[in-house]
Amino acid sequence: MSFEELDHTADYLFRCRGRSPEELFSESARAMFSIMFENNDANNVGNNGTDNGTDSGSNNCSNNGSNADSDAVRVKKEIEVESDSLSNLLIDFLSELLFVAEVDCLVLSGVKPKITGNSLKAEVFGEPFVPEKHGGGTEIKGISRSGVEIEEISEDDGIYYQAEIIFDV
Amino acid sequence: MIDKINKISDVEWELKEGFMPNMSVPARIYISELLAQTLEEGAATQLANVATLPGILKYSLAMPDVHWGYGFPIGGVAGFDADTGIISPGGVGFDINCGVRLITTPVKASSNEMPKIKRLITELFHTVPTGVGTHAEKKLNEKELDDIMNEGAGWMVNNGYGNPHDLIRCEDNGCMKGADTAFVSKKAIARGIPQCGTLGSGNHFLEVQKTAEIMDEEAAAKFGVEKDNLCIMIHCGSRGLGHQVCTDHLKEIEAATKKYGINIPDNQLACAPIKSDEGKAYFGAMAACANYAWANRQMITHMVREVFCKIYGTEYDELKLVYDVCHNVAKFEEYEIDGRRKKVCVHRKGATRSFGPNSPDLPGDLVSVGQPVLIPGSMGTPSYLLKGTAAAMEKTFGSTCHGSGRVFSRTKAKEGMSGQEIKEDLEKRGIFVKATSNKVIAEEAPDAYKSSSEVVRVVHDAGISLKVARFEPLGVIKG
Repeated sequence: MSFEELDHTADYLFRCRGRSPEELFSESARAMFSIMFENNDANNVGNNGTDNGTDSGSNNCSNNGSNADSDAVRVKKEIEVESDSLSNLLIDFLSELLFVAEVDCLVLSGVKPKITGNSLKAEVFGEPFVPEKHGGGTEIKGISRSGVEIEEISEDDGIYYQAEIIFDV
Repeated sequence: MIDKINKISDVEWELKEGFMPNMSVPARIYISELLAQTLEEGAATQLANVATLPGILKYSLAMPDVHWGYGFPIGGVAGFDADTGIISPGGVGFDINCGVRLITTPVKASSNEMPKIKRLITELFHTVPTGVGTHAEKKLNEKELDDIMNEGAGWMVNNGYGNPHDLIRCEDNGCMKGADTAFVSKKAIARGIPQCGTLGSGNHFLEVQKTAEIMDEEAAAKFGVEKDNLCIMIHCGSRGLGHQVCTDHLKEIEAATKKYGINIPDNQLACAPIKSDEGKAYFGAMAACANYAWANRQMITHMVREVFCKIYGTEYDELKLVYDVCHNVAKFEEYEIDGRRKKVCVHRKGATRSFGPNSPDLPGDLVSVGQPVLIPGSMGTPSYLLKGTAAAMEKTFGSTCHGSGRVFSRTKAKEGMSGQEIKEDLEKRGIFVKATSNKVIAEEAPDAYKSSSEVVRVVHDAGISLKVARFEPLGVIKG
């Protein structure tokens, strides 16, 4: 499905859509990753570095002797999140991904969530952050807890789940 | 937007009670007609919503750099009765103790400074970890992190990353009382351990500037600022530690809002009584993050001194801290309200403390002048040093603006000039920019912000802080 950036003065506002709650969650995650890194596309992850006109500073957390041209190590992680409503589950899920990406220094490229009630288990895919390859992006400070309401929208071609999310940067 | 608000003076406007339902005090906005043209309805609504919160005193306040934020508007100030009022993470923001410090150097900028500035900026860029996914050179252990959260900048100075004079020139001497690390989660600790001494990204920066103009000779002399000298400005906060603490406590406080039956017009205004367990827990964790942020800026200062001394041949202690202010915080302060001295929990969300002469917490040599106030410009625009005033103590809970404030979104900014074009344009104007990404440069385009000069003019004319000096950028590092 899709995610789309809307106008917001201070932060990033995204409208995310999916055919199922699971797809809505994975699209919301993709929206978030697109802010954090310039090259986070699943197709790109695993390819060699590209010249993106960016510059890397010092002490990048994951370049332990590796370089942009080496074969990327694919990483798979599992996360579990529980909440008190589906909307809050979406916020808590994104907050958990943010935590994993930062602490493990991963560029996340895909998520496969499985939702049961107000809890989820998800497989998260990514690779260690290499600045020359992934480019600089913007750190996300947090996910706004307001305005996130999951809507069910009926259109000609079926039902969509939609949410608008503010990422505080 | 401006037609819906009442003019008090050229720089002060009011939203009366009734602008939004259940306001218990009016709202005041310090703004000019020029800046009001870009005032968003959302920001005014947020400002009015804050006026509905329990225990709010006098006014819900907005500074001229006001814009739409999370819960409280950015540029918002609100004081709550310490006995009956609330504390709200949305009134502080995700980046707890995001702040600014200014360091002066003994070096006069020459007319051909650019080659050396380029060397300096390049070296600083490779020394100070900047941007997404960077870790500090010194990895702390849990005990050290705990000590830092209790001791703030003082921990850094005691461990060789600064000098005692630095602490005198920090708000709260670089250490906020009341930190309680028991309320800082394991996740927050995991994020805090590798990041003390990193700049971050977005609007955070490290800038080399030249003192371009002195407006108040006496205050400038007291603050240690001389015309034409090179200065360094650092803008950053408590990094992932603060972000995680805000995320964790927002959830707790949201539940507390319901538990204590507090009616809020917007979930983002989730709050708890100051004296409740949840309120105390948030305050303790927030103060711990504030201390970490001061230590973070202190560590960066240490790196800056070492690099600067190597390139310019100066001594470490010749680089002096003018002051360090925090602009995202909630603090207990005392004010005279209706003839009575009251303890107030002041929330500053994108606003700077602006204590006037003879206020508490001012170092002895600055008691007669007032507190140094630092207002960073956006990339490529001037920054300002001001001084706090008695008028701020009366009108704005000792507060003033914090920066320029965005006028348009990052999306719109990216539709304009590319990062590379902006970089080249700035270099033609004598400003060398180094960033981890051209995307960040495009998003932080100077045009995306209000004019820092107009913002500062308004606070000066309103008397809530007075101009002392203006600084022009020569080199910028963006994360």
